Amino acid sequence: MKPSIYENSRDVFLDTVNVKDYIQLEKISMIYQALRDSIEKPLKMVLLYGKPGTGKSMFLSKLHEDVASAQKAYLYKTPILDESEFFKTIAQDLYGIKYDSELNFTQFMKVVENRELIEAIVPIIMLDEAQLYTTAMMEKIRLLSDTRKVKFVIALHKTEKEDIIAKEHFQTRIWESIKLENASPVELKIYIQKKLMKVNCVDTASMFVPKSINLIHKLTDGNYRDTNKLVYTLFDIYHYYAQNNPKEIRGNEISKKIIEMAAIHTGLINA
Amino acid sequence: MLNVNELENKHKKYKLKSYTPYFAIFLGVSAAILSISFFLLYDFNSKKETKKELIAQKTQEYNGDRKADIAIENKNEAIEQEASKVIVPKEKEETPVTQEREEKVQLSPSLNFIKRIESEVPLYKKEDSVKAAAIIEKKVERPIEKSSEPIKKENKKEEVSLPIVEEVKESIALVQKPIVEEPATNTSTIDIKRRDVEEDIKHVIKRFNVNHNPALSLFVAKKYYQLENYEQAYNYALATNELNNNIEASWIIFSKSLVKLGKKEMAIETLKRYINHSDSSQARQLLDEILSGKFK
Repeated sequence: MKPSIYENSRDVFLDTVNVKDYIQLEKISMIYQALRDSIEKPLKMVLLYGKPGTGKSMFLSKLHEDVASAQKAYLYKTPILDESEFFKTIAQDLYGIKYDSELNFTQFMKVVENRELIEAIVPIIMLDEAQLYTTAMMEKIRLLSDTRKVKFVIALHKTEKEDIIAKEHFQTRIWESIKLENASPVELKIYIQKKLMKVNCVDTASMFVPKSINLIHKLTDGNYRDTNKLVYTLFDIYHYYAQNNPKEIRGNEISKKIIEMAAIHTGLINA
Repeated sequence: MLNVNELENKHKKYKLKSYTPYFAIFLGVSAAILSISFFLLYDFNSKKETKKELIAQKTQEYNGDRKADIAIENKNEAIEQEASKVIVPKEKEETPVTQEREEKVQLSPSLNFIKRIESEVPLYKKEDSVKAAAIIEKKVERPIEKSSEPIKKENKKEEVSLPIVEEVKESIALVQKPIVEEPATNTSTIDIKRRDVEEDIKHVIKRFNVNHNPALSLFVAKKYYQLENYEQAYNYALATNELNNNIEASWIIFSKSLVKLGKKEMAIETLKRYINHSDSSQARQLLDEILSGKFK
């Protein structure tokens, strides 16, 4: 086995949101289809929520890529916390109006209300990490969506402490909620192996036997981000041993010791 | 770039850390097992030692007892050898020595009373005999003639002088044979053997003097008759009649004694009177035998 394979395998798991790295799993496909159906409906807002690392950003990226060719769709991966800046950015993206001075909510509402829809297609604004917006800002976004001249898809974290759905501005019937969850061991195995297969790392993909997957799932709880980090570190260690101490990686399956070392390094194990 | 060496050290620490609970559990369980084993073994050994001591003590005691038993046995054997002249052991089956020792109960009569009796005067003296004879006189109409030495005749009245008991040659002893349990049948037998009949009769006489039971006097009469002491047999048969004149056996012994004393006619007369009075078949049979000369 050539050392370069470990490097290639490692790089697949870099924690980046790249639509090219989107893995079509059965459950994810179903959820994605539900999301596509939701934006077709005359809904004002769609809520996409789940724990960190469950693939919300990837979903939004995938959706943006898929719908952007057919209609106006804008993805804001990082929140625009300044209110004036937020409205000015949307005004410029949606309507091509550039404001040098301040643009407050009232002014922006007038702009939105006076605009006519092109072929009755409502433009989509996708907001990732929406939990960072203030409650007042969220209320203003709801009022904007009430004009039915713009549709919002909001992705936010669902934390243990606070139930986002319970918040007042998410309780109206016009909201569609889609929850994303961690992967099961089977899904995790498919996820890892599909990722490796994409870059033709068949040998490394076959090293993930159920025992290895179960251990990884136990450590990451099926979280995609944690899994990416762990497997990345794992192949990094493999790459190191391949170069410095090949006898440590002579087995045909992923070494338990190296999985644990990777977990220690990523903080999944508190050693 | 990863610092794999540092990571390896961390992993070693992690593994040690992860094994610590199992190690602790193992140590705990081992300690518990060892403690339990120690206590069990300790108790066992101490018990064993105590047992051994007890056994040794018991053995010593047993040996001491055994020696004492053997001494007692030897003594008993000597005594038994002496007593074997009168005691006939019946047991033939072999029984364990210890069991035999436990089961063997030897009873021997107390002979102290004999000494007391020896100093006593015989029961019936002359006055008593005369009195008894006077009673018989009332019943016998015809006086007895030619009476021999003990019987005297005076005018119309018949006076029978009864011989006084002076000496008893033989004696009867009632000896209870040692009871030997036979393992198979588990039965006991009592052998009555004559040894000192005289002493025994004296004992009965003593009892008779106290309670005047005619059964006792009749018993004495019979015994004397068996011992061929006809004078005493006559004497006690008469005493029995005095107390109860309806006892057939006393009349028979009385008559027989008379015959043996050579007073055949008197015996015939007595029997005839008794037959008339009681219609005793036994008395009739005796009368026939006397008359025919069968009974002498």
